[in-house]
Amino acid sequence: MDPGARLTRPSASAKLGRMQTRARFALAVLALGLAHAGPVFSQAPGEPPTGQIATAAEALLATLSDAQRSQALFSFDDEAQRKRWSNLPTGPFTRAGLRMGDLTEPQRAAVLALLTAALSPEGYTKVMAIVEADEQLRQSTGRAMFGRDEYYVSFVGEPSTTSPWLLQFGGHHLALNITLAGDQGTLAPSHTAAQPATYELEGRTVQPLGREVELSAALLRSLDEKQREQAILGFQVRDLVLGPGRDGQTIQPEGIKGSELTARQRELLLELAGEWTDIPHAALARAKRAELEAHVEDTWFAWSGPTEAGKSAYFRIQGPTVHIEYAPQGRDDPATHVHTIYRDPTNEYGARWWAR
Amino acid sequence: MGTLARRAVLLLALAAAPLAALGHRVHEYLQATVVSIEPEAIRLSINFTPGIEVADEVLARIDWNSDGLIAESEGATYAELLRRDLALRLDRGAMELELVAATFPPTAELVAGTGIIQLVFAAGALPLAAGPHVLAFENRHFAGVGVYLFNAALPRSSSIEIVRQKRNDDQSVGEIEFTLTETSAAAGR
Repeated sequence: MDPGARLTRPSASAKLGRMQTRARFALAVLALGLAHAGPVFSQAPGEPPTGQIATAAEALLATLSDAQRSQALFSFDDEAQRKRWSNLPTGPFTRAGLRMGDLTEPQRAAVLALLTAALSPEGYTKVMAIVEADEQLRQSTGRAMFGRDEYYVSFVGEPSTTSPWLLQFGGHHLALNITLAGDQGTLAPSHTAAQPATYELEGRTVQPLGREVELSAALLRSLDEKQREQAILGFQVRDLVLGPGRDGQTIQPEGIKGSELTARQRELLLELAGEWTDIPHAALARAKRAELEAHVEDTWFAWSGPTEAGKSAYFRIQGPTVHIEYAPQGRDDPATHVHTIYRDPTNEYGARWWAR
Repeated sequence: MGTLARRAVLLLALAAAPLAALGHRVHEYLQATVVSIEPEAIRLSINFTPGIEVADEVLARIDWNSDGLIAESEGATYAELLRRDLALRLDRGAMELELVAATFPPTAELVAGTGIIQLVFAAGALPLAAGPHVLAFENRHFAGVGVYLFNAALPRSSSIEIVRQKRNDDQSVGEIEFTLTETSAAAGR
């Protein structure tokens, strides 16, 4: 693909307008995300993304009734809403905002269009695969607390190209918190997860967090014996340390430091971190990547659990401006249920750009 | 459960969140400790999340009058029970733990296996002397079903350096080796 090419994108509403039933929504997910095989979305390199995202947000808001707008919009100083996110499904955790299941088809399409504007193609694919995993869970358990309808979108602050605002999209196993401030933006803190971690859809095997497994295993395999002694923690880590509810906390890094890695290993480490930092719009991802590169020698990688290929294990990436954890859940078959967290200890919710 | 109130809580919880068999931690009690070490204070911030299958037993130790509510006195009593299951030693000397903050979720959330109890304990016998130290911690609360996490917080003070952290396999026992520089120790007096 020509990185300089201006890509064109069929509108999400046009795509979804052809969909008549909820079952066909799965096909839309495939078309828009899971089967994404090339340039579909318009994200010009170097172009500040805030304008596109704010425009898509305003397009969504324009489809809403006054009551829905009130549900969707929160004051930027609403700390409770800013921090109202969780790994849990609806019921055990009460979300606010617009529930996808309460929206009309055009409104749902506008939400998807907003996500295509705010996320990279890879990020959109990952997010849709997580949502679809939850739909699979709804169908297999028959429980209404799961599924595509139980995701919420909200805005903390009015969409703007100059003032800071926060776009939230989340539900069970997903919490995207994208703070935008002028030309800058951050995904921190956000939560991705999956249950089932692998499923079949339209004849395809889908693993929403599969690249994380592949890349972490590749990085582990690349370590020599001495490096592995440093990287592998000698104890079990059976859950996220700084998961939901741990805002503002930081922990001492452990494992192997980036300065002890080879150039190729550091590249692998950055590629692995990219599974989180590349979720938002490419321009935001590039800025974050540059920041991580600048600090890579002070970025740590730690592993806990089995080291055999195909086994699921805990790992953590920690640097001055990044905190990532990947934690399989449960003992019976940890590969079926995975939680992750992405944080930036220096810039949670973009506070660097707006906090007094 | 011995009362209608407790049964009502349980029914509400089961209606809201039957997470058993859905992959969430159900038979275990997650207890995540982050230790903050600063020249003038050592604090333990512990999040307790009982799984749905152990939540009833945990709640029975909190909600003494079985009214489905956690009164401040009930919370304080549970925190005291819990404190006795914790041991903190600095350079082999036992440290007293004092509860400084406690947040209990609604009982329905606890019974559903989704509620998080957040407790913060402060340790006495400070300020620290300059030089190397070892802080040792042990958590025996609900041993057998406990899933433990134990981590040192990144120090805010540049005069504290975490040298090494050690844990046993399940992280119910851990040690933090750290040093405090002379300059800071003198300034702290």
